[in-house]
Amino acid sequence: MRRIDTLLASALALLLLVSCGGRADVRPWGPFTDRTSMIFPDYQDVTIPCNIAPLNFYYTDPTFPRPVTVFSCGPVSVTFRGREVVWKESVWKELLAAAAGSDIDVASTRGGDSVHWKIHVSAERIDPYLTYRLIEPGFEVWDDLEIVERHLEGFETRIISDWRHTQNKCMNCHIHAQGRGDLSMFYLRGAGGGAILNRDGALRKLTLRDSTMISSTVYGEIHPSGRWGVFSTNTIIPAMHSAGDIRMEVFDRESDLCVADFDGNRMLSFPGTARKDMFETFPVFSADGNAVYYCSAPAGLLPADLERTRYSLLRIPFDPESGTLGSPADTLWSGPAHDASACHPKASPDGRWLLFTVADYGTFPINHAECDLALMDLRTGGLMPMDAVNADKSDTYHSWSSDGKWFVFASKRGDGFFGKPYFSHVSPDGSVTKPFLLPQRDPHFYDHMLRSFNVPDLGNAPVGFDAAEIGRVWKDVPAEPFD
Amino acid sequence: MERKGLRIPVILLATLLLAAGASQAWFLVRHPYFCKYAAQNGISLREARKVWGRPDKVSERVMGLTVEASLENWTKVAELASVDLKSEIGSYYYNLANAHLGQLPDRLMDYYQPFERGLFLPVGEKSTPFQIACAGDVWFALGDMTMAERDAMLGLSFSPAHKGSRYLRRLAETNLVKGDYAAASKYLRILLNSRTDRAWAQERLDGAWSPEYSERIARKRALMPRIDLVHGMDQTQLILRILLNSNASNKMALDYLLCYDLLTKDLDAFVADYDPSLTASTLYEEAMLIFLAAKGGMDVENFDHYHIAPATLERFNRFVTIYRRDGGSLGNLTGDFGKTYWYYYYFAVRNEKD
Repeated sequence: MRRIDTLLASALALLLLVSCGGRADVRPWGPFTDRTSMIFPDYQDVTIPCNIAPLNFYYTDPTFPRPVTVFSCGPVSVTFRGREVVWKESVWKELLAAAAGSDIDVASTRGGDSVHWKIHVSAERIDPYLTYRLIEPGFEVWDDLEIVERHLEGFETRIISDWRHTQNKCMNCHIHAQGRGDLSMFYLRGAGGGAILNRDGALRKLTLRDSTMISSTVYGEIHPSGRWGVFSTNTIIPAMHSAGDIRMEVFDRESDLCVADFDGNRMLSFPGTARKDMFETFPVFSADGNAVYYCSAPAGLLPADLERTRYSLLRIPFDPESGTLGSPADTLWSGPAHDASACHPKASPDGRWLLFTVADYGTFPINHAECDLALMDLRTGGLMPMDAVNADKSDTYHSWSSDGKWFVFASKRGDGFFGKPYFSHVSPDGSVTKPFLLPQRDPHFYDHMLRSFNVPDLGNAPVGFDAAEIGRVWKDVPAEPFD
Repeated sequence: MERKGLRIPVILLATLLLAAGASQAWFLVRHPYFCKYAAQNGISLREARKVWGRPDKVSERVMGLTVEASLENWTKVAELASVDLKSEIGSYYYNLANAHLGQLPDRLMDYYQPFERGLFLPVGEKSTPFQIACAGDVWFALGDMTMAERDAMLGLSFSPAHKGSRYLRRLAETNLVKGDYAAASKYLRILLNSRTDRAWAQERLDGAWSPEYSERIARKRALMPRIDLVHGMDQTQLILRILLNSNASNKMALDYLLCYDLLTKDLDAFVADYDPSLTASTLYEEAMLIFLAAKGGMDVENFDHYHIAPATLERFNRFVTIYRRDGGSLGNLTGDFGKTYWYYYYFAVRNEKD
């Protein structure tokens, strides 16, 4: 009997040894890798909201086996020993409460040397929910897609739509209207699909297409009133680059704007924004709902003219009573004049800022390493310096917090291939802060994450549905026709 | 008394464990490639059987093709492919192995050729996960790292567990060839944390490259396109021409282009792409003869220019004679000419589902 006990104990010990497998190997690290900072995620001197989840991280240099990290703010002091810094949520919240509106001082001591840095804690809270699509960096086809809602004050996630309930259908990203959890939409593509509109506690499935449109709606946004949507309708062509680091390219053969009337089930189009000689795309509403921002470029012969296709940023009046796009369009930022191309404008809900991306050319900045975010002061039309935010890899797919104080964007910084959500704060004077990466319970989470966080979008409340309900809508609810 | 009571359950348990172990071992012996392919996809045998079903002789051989190809054991791939599986995957690896062994055109007509799909596996919504998993091997061999990376990422996306060392290794290596060490780092880190891939990854860390590995990377880099052109995913001929434009000595790309032209029966493209001073094969002579006969160019000057051997010409004349005599029937041609391009050109019919 004793022998059996001993054998069992040995087997258990062996099992434990095998399953634990020792400390994670964090190599490669250092210059020219995707882990160039002292810690990962790099939280040194970032500005965070006072309601964010614990900033867990690890030291990238494995040659210091047991660094000591001391966080202090006023009377509160917390010490960690070891390469992984993983917070107890209650301790983190206590420190964060003490530091709101000030700084947390951090001392990293390794092998006798100390590095002092800070975490700036803003008293301005961020919208506590973030939705994003999880997808392998894509090339035309997809598998096992999920749209997830993350509670930013902790680590809880909730799947709000997924492949399991929709027979592996393609789904496009979820967007809130001005950060509202009760007004949002996304697309389920293919048979049984449609635009899923979450409005006033009800889900509708809509066929946002009439016989005159180029395609079903593609990019767009919901009006603050909830009645209207403004969309682009595009013929999208995917292609590849034979050399360089852009990899995949996507361009439009044609694109127009249209307006959807969610109350009257009508699609509206207007000659000024459905021109054959121009591409029009990426429409969004102004904060007051009286204008539409969009991007436009002269229609060229693509892909031959691709590198000469530069989109400008335009504003056009919108009448919320009739749903009409007026004229003329004002050019806010000229692509040809800047020798660059504007994409994805997003107006801050407080009406002060317009955030957009600038790439060398074209309309698919996510794969352009040179693509950066630009912030326009809508009072002056001037651009604010964004050096603190932008990196040497693609920064795009941004959205605003409902108060216009924070924004989130997908950045491919580091590996250059996987989009990760970063958050930055905007002050009233337009100064922006060094962005911080969405914290995770496991500091090594991003080491083994092989999916992109696609189109991260902030919400001030959870959306009122889940994947099972979307599955039911997909299966049982007929799509409402629009004409 | 207590000991006696325990003995029987312990013996039973030990017997069960032994039986399970023996069954597992027997499975490993009978289906080594199935087991290796499951490991390359990061899933257990139980999961593999659930996803792919129980392996049979054909699936074991097909998995052997891709496993050996991932290890670049081309002689072994050729050996496994020597049994004509009459499948796209079988032809794909048969052709790829022959290309590595420098005999793609010479062996092309010896085997089932499902038109261009025996050279490049289709990647799209109708493709199977297995096709997608294999599709990048040819692009990696030809030197197009963008396409190879695309297919590795798609392979990963469609793999049962969305992971697997075969894809991560390819993703790491395509980026190492491209010189994008930051991108490669991501995959190397994951592989370093895997017991079975650690050694492979360690050899590829910056500063750890052996002279042999450095040479391998240099060879791959020499094949890469140097001009940036935007092309459609399915513009195969254009992609091959871009490769050749950057490196005219990329013999594999040249043979793939010419064989693509021939398998799609695009003789105009073949004649435009073919330079007899750069590559030679009876296959190309046979194709040229069809073209010359159709265009009224059957003269000595052309025979000389296109290096057409008298024996090939004599066989062609015999083929034409029988073809005309039998009113275009293949019956009397199969025996002597079944492995010629003439036979393929006149009698191969594209499957409806293609």
